[in-house]
Amino acid sequence: MAQQTLALKCEHVVKRYGDLVAVNDVSLEIAVGEIFGLVGPNGAGKTTLIEMIESLRKPDSGSIRVLGLDPQAQSVELRERIGVQLQATSIQPNLKVKEAIGLFASLYRKSLLHPEELLETLSLADKANSRFRKLSGGQKQRVAIALALVNDPEILFFDEITTGLDPQARRAMWDLLREFHGRGKTVFLTTHYMEEAEALCDRVAVIDHGRIIALDTPANLVHNLKAGTKVLFRVTNRAVASAEFAKLPAVTRVEPKDDGFVLYTSDGNATLQELIRHADRQGLSLDAIRTETPNLDDVFLALTGREMRE
Amino acid sequence: MRGLAKLAWSEFRLTLRDPMTAFWSLAFPALWFLLMVVVIGMPIPGFDYHGQGFASLVFPASISLVILSTSFIGVPIALTTYREAGVLRRLRVTPVKVTTLVAAYSLSQLAFTVVGVAVVTILAMGFFEVRILGSALAFVGVLFCAMVTFLALGSAIGSVARTTRTANIIIWSAFTPMLMLSELFMPLSLLPRWLQPIAKALPLTPVNTLLRDIVFGVALGDLWRFGVLGAWAVVSLVLTVRFFRWE
Repeated sequence: MAQQTLALKCEHVVKRYGDLVAVNDVSLEIAVGEIFGLVGPNGAGKTTLIEMIESLRKPDSGSIRVLGLDPQAQSVELRERIGVQLQATSIQPNLKVKEAIGLFASLYRKSLLHPEELLETLSLADKANSRFRKLSGGQKQRVAIALALVNDPEILFFDEITTGLDPQARRAMWDLLREFHGRGKTVFLTTHYMEEAEALCDRVAVIDHGRIIALDTPANLVHNLKAGTKVLFRVTNRAVASAEFAKLPAVTRVEPKDDGFVLYTSDGNATLQELIRHADRQGLSLDAIRTETPNLDDVFLALTGREMRE
Repeated sequence: MRGLAKLAWSEFRLTLRDPMTAFWSLAFPALWFLLMVVVIGMPIPGFDYHGQGFASLVFPASISLVILSTSFIGVPIALTTYREAGVLRRLRVTPVKVTTLVAAYSLSQLAFTVVGVAVVTILAMGFFEVRILGSALAFVGVLFCAMVTFLALGSAIGSVARTTRTANIIIWSAFTPMLMLSELFMPLSLLPRWLQPIAKALPLTPVNTLLRDIVFGVALGDLWRFGVLGAWAVVSLVLTVRFFRWE
């Protein structure tokens, strides 16, 4: 990728807190116009990494360039050109929503000509005169997004933007991100919802214990699992070992899950048919049989041997 | 300093929205003035009032209290509460500079100081026949120096203290000695001899003394008092720059 088309370049970035290596030798490149997702469980190093990119934390070693700028040495210039939504922040509690928009717009060299139109876009128009502290969680989150957009940024950074939102609000947030992306802007988001990364992102980096363990398009990550389908079921009448199902046709892997099993298979039909015959022969009672196409949750499980949310 | 005016203005309005703070900073010195003059109203025997009443002694002390109860308390509490709530952290990802932020919170408190001074002055000159016998310009000049110094002190406290709890401890452990030792209640000459140099080095003492000298029309002989104010201001600004933290 040529330098001018890169929105972000990280090379061997390391951040330690005492003995804990929060971010461990991370390298990645993001092109202008991409929606890039950083996924991983809580404590994986997502926030530390995104905050180093946003100029809030200094890496111990390695180099970061955002829009060609060094976040430490050129932080003011960088902050003019990026939009940031942070975890665990607030604005002045008694500030009214439209005052907040005006105040933040005044801090930038260049801001939207009519920043108050953001309130319309974000369905906050009827809250324009409400004080920030009186808003619901979802409304506060939308104000945070409006504030991240007031300077018409080239890159948006969203850290766990939909955590704590109801499904409807989350969908609305996704639409908003897609609209922003549609105008040629770059988005860098972190999430611990795999379905969110899958629905939104052009490319996804999976981070665990501070290391990037996979980086590709969601489709490729799933495809590379070489597990076309999952067959899920429970055995209700007696205890069985997972090895019993490993010999079924096309099965690549067997995982016990909850009180049943998951068969990863390259041919769902063949596996399912043989599973039912096998059960007949062995006198097993099967229950809650269903098939699923794999998603990024399975990628994480396959890469780490752990569930994303546990 | 982009955003300074907007930040200062919004901070000013936010303080007004918290009526307890506004009341405390504006009404406390006025109430104190009335309490001293009307309820206590006891001139110190042998003190030279230059032909004026007891109120002319309470007046400069009340102005000192205005400065103490606005800038000195308002700025650090704004900084620490915003730091604790993550407001400073949010502002940090904008291009705003520390100096702009601190200047904005100071300007907002300055407005309250000016209003507080006006209230006490109207009360004293309009209802209790206090006259400024010296130069009114010098009076305003001393006020200005005092405000700058106490805003700087407030910023320093808000920077050195990370939390509102710590800020309150620092504020009140400095507030009480200044109240007792800066000639607000009793003349320096009544203090034990060893305590007098300490009292003279406190930042509120020169403010109170200089204002009182101007009210009584006494020549400002002790210009070193401005040095005391200046020294506190410089030390405070250094502490602010050195210790300011966004989170």
